[in-house]
Amino acid sequence: MKRFAFFPGCLIPARHPAMEFAIRETLPKLDIELVDLEGASCCPDPIYFKSKDKLSWLAVAARNLCLAEELGVDLVTNCSGCTATLSETYHMLHDDPDVKDQVNQRLAKIGKTYKGTSKIRHIATVVRDEAGYEKIRNSVTHPLVGLKVAIHYGCHLLKPSKIMNVDNPDDPSVLENLIRALGAEPVRHRNWYLCCGKACQNEDIPNNMMHDLLGSVHDEQADVLGMICPTCFGQFDHGQMKIAKLFEEDFHTPPVYYFQLLALAQGVPYDQLGFQKQRFKPTVLQQFEEAAAPPA
Amino acid sequence: MTKRQNEDDIVRVDFGFKRLLAETVEGDLANFCYQCGACVGDCPAATYSEEFNPREIMLKVLYGLEDELLGPDSVIWECTNCYACHERCPQQVKPVEIVISLKNMLAARGDAPDVVNRVIHTFETTGRTVPYSPAIDKQRAKFGLPPMGEVPMDEIQALLEPATEGEAT
Ligand code: SF4
Ligand code: SF4
Repeated sequence: MKRFAFFPGCLIPARHPAMEFAIRETLPKLDIELVDLEGASCCPDPIYFKSKDKLSWLAVAARNLCLAEELGVDLVTNCSGCTATLSETYHMLHDDPDVKDQVNQRLAKIGKTYKGTSKIRHIATVVRDEAGYEKIRNSVTHPLVGLKVAIHYGCHLLKPSKIMNVDNPDDPSVLENLIRALGAEPVRHRNWYLCCGKACQNEDIPNNMMHDLLGSVHDEQADVLGMICPTCFGQFDHGQMKIAKLFEEDFHTPPVYYFQLLALAQGVPYDQLGFQKQRFKPTVLQQFEEAAAPPA
Repeated sequence: MTKRQNEDDIVRVDFGFKRLLAETVEGDLANFCYQCGACVGDCPAATYSEEFNPREIMLKVLYGLEDELLGPDSVIWECTNCYACHERCPQQVKPVEIVISLKNMLAARGDAPDVVNRVIHTFETTGRTVPYSPAIDKQRAKFGLPPMGEVPMDEIQALLEPATEGEAT
């Protein structure tokens, strides 16, 4: 068992407990152990709080990293925003001794020192690199054969690549391979690289962007839109209702967080995975409950 | 060689504004911009908005056009924070970080949009960006998850205050 400090952030534990449940269900089956981080705060978010005061943002992020350093383990994130904040902090404090000094002066007030000994890993890379696709495939009891999953990488998982260190942002493969390991078919639609637009304060931009993206997923006749970020998920679930009204076009594309899909493929029943709380329910997944693999 | 017709054709650089921007974390990177436009092609805000263009924002930064960058018609909040420009820039300018530095300057003046201020306030008072309510723990219990952990707010608030005078912002 490889151990990691688990940094759930705010959005997943507070708004999407089903996603946290799925993570806690699936990772032990891949021999990955999660240790809770007592006293962790918001990462803080890379959109709003970073816009207020970047040095305070770095200081709070560094405190969260100190908590993992105190446990002597690397830290795993389940939200692309948290990954962005914590990875960027790690890199900036490594590259800029002046900023590191200023952050440590603030941390001294609470008796902490940032050292830079714990790395930040997005959960998608942890399952890819620690478990591997083969082990994921072997953990599947209910293969999702025939399911077409359109992919949505979101922005912060991949960019900036030198900081995120996850995959090639121009031609990534991690999400496709993770989906393939479940027996499903990943679909790279023509707007796969688009952003969810959540941070933009001019509504027209994300509205048009999401409309284009959902349109291209629809054209590919994908069953669901698979993703690994709770912010993107909110945009495509709640936000899709607005798009349907605004453009008088109902693409009806349920978004699905990858680890809920993995849980289903590992045999967790549909009803236990919180899908019924989504605005756009991925009922197409129900058929895989019965389709268990014959015993070997 | 033609001579400039009149003085109005000359753009004057506002060094005072540029010095203020350079005091923000990474605000000094702007000077390396050579206006190639590599940041524009993948920019979703530029693709979907007539008025937003990261190269033009960088040009205004190079000249120090404070009124256009931070005035009421500022487009900087249209940026989607996607980091595509950071990925593309051959000069390591990190245009998105310059945009964020500009937002820091606006926030310091109390001029951030209301929705942004609301999230910031929730974080500064609770240590989280999603406000806590007992309903959250109830939902969590349905999945067999423990209640949300406590955030030691005394520690968070101590970190939000500068440690020394003259610290960068
Ligand atoms: S890519 Fe970099 S150097 Fe080129 S215009 Fe944009 S910010 Fe300037
Ligand atoms: S981060 Fe902002 S400026 Fe940069 S490419 Fe994305 S939307 Fe454009």
